[in-house]
Amino acid sequence: MNAAGGTTQIGTAGEGAGLDPREAARILEQTQRQARRQFDPQSALGAVVGAGVFLFGYGAVWWSMRDQHVYKGPAGWSLAVLYGLIAVSAIAGGVASSRANAGVSGRARRQRLAQGAAIAAAGVGAWVIEGALRYLGVSFEIVYGVYGPTVPLIALAAAAAGIAAMRENWLQLGVCIAIIGVASVSTFFGPLGAWGLTGLGCCLVLLAYAAALVVQQRRS
Amino acid sequence: MATNTLEPLDPLIHVPARLRILVTLAALNEGDTLSFTRLQNMLDLTPGNLITHLRKLEDARYISTSKTGNGVASLTSVTLTRHGRAALDAYTEALRDLLGELAK
Repeated sequence: MNAAGGTTQIGTAGEGAGLDPREAARILEQTQRQARRQFDPQSALGAVVGAGVFLFGYGAVWWSMRDQHVYKGPAGWSLAVLYGLIAVSAIAGGVASSRANAGVSGRARRQRLAQGAAIAAAGVGAWVIEGALRYLGVSFEIVYGVYGPTVPLIALAAAAAGIAAMRENWLQLGVCIAIIGVASVSTFFGPLGAWGLTGLGCCLVLLAYAAALVVQQRRS
Repeated sequence: MATNTLEPLDPLIHVPARLRILVTLAALNEGDTLSFTRLQNMLDLTPGNLITHLRKLEDARYISTSKTGNGVASLTSVTLTRHGRAALDAYTEALRDLLGELAK
């Protein structure tokens, strides 16, 4: 009797008696991998889409201001490109999330709502302060050129970092911290630097994240 | 013959369809439920086949099911119980031991 044939009867009876333990281990690992992938809204493709938003959206704004010796603000078309890309990526993210969470209810659903509220509060708070700064007479250059592309992003990334830490998702935590670092440092370089460096830096961070997700999926 | 010399594999779990059901439910957080339809789509089983396996697992208290609504609008949800999660952990451990023994 070969090893596999002998072991199919070890401690099992009934319907599963013919199932080889090696085959059971393969089914177990394959199902775990598939389930994790299907329940996880994060994907390498999503990260690449996010990288594209930073590169082309922030890049368009930087491009429209690159020859300004005195700050005049970004061109309307560049803001349309930026907000259009943000809208498209938000819709794509929403679709991916609803697909991953279809049919799942209970604690996870409540957690998602609470996490969404925390991120929304961080973003809205940062944008309200932007309005307050302008109201208090701070220059357009600082409010829309430096604060606008960086501080709301830092607030959103900080909220996401807290959620990633709570989930013990260290890769996502690293991405959030890297985005905060890139956006913070870019503020030293004025409006052009804030848009250009944040766009390029965050694009590279998200591309690295996408590559890490691919490696992680292949290993698991 | 090696029968009964190693940790027994839970016969209720040691069936491909039921193993896949439990592993899929275990990928969710504790206390989360999954709709019957999503589970069926993920595992690619017929409704009748899935119901048969779910009944066996529910009889063993490995899973619990709940039904909301009536008629065509009814929705059945499935969740892995603590007992079921512990049984799957024990099965996984026993399987690992068994494969370790075979490798020797």
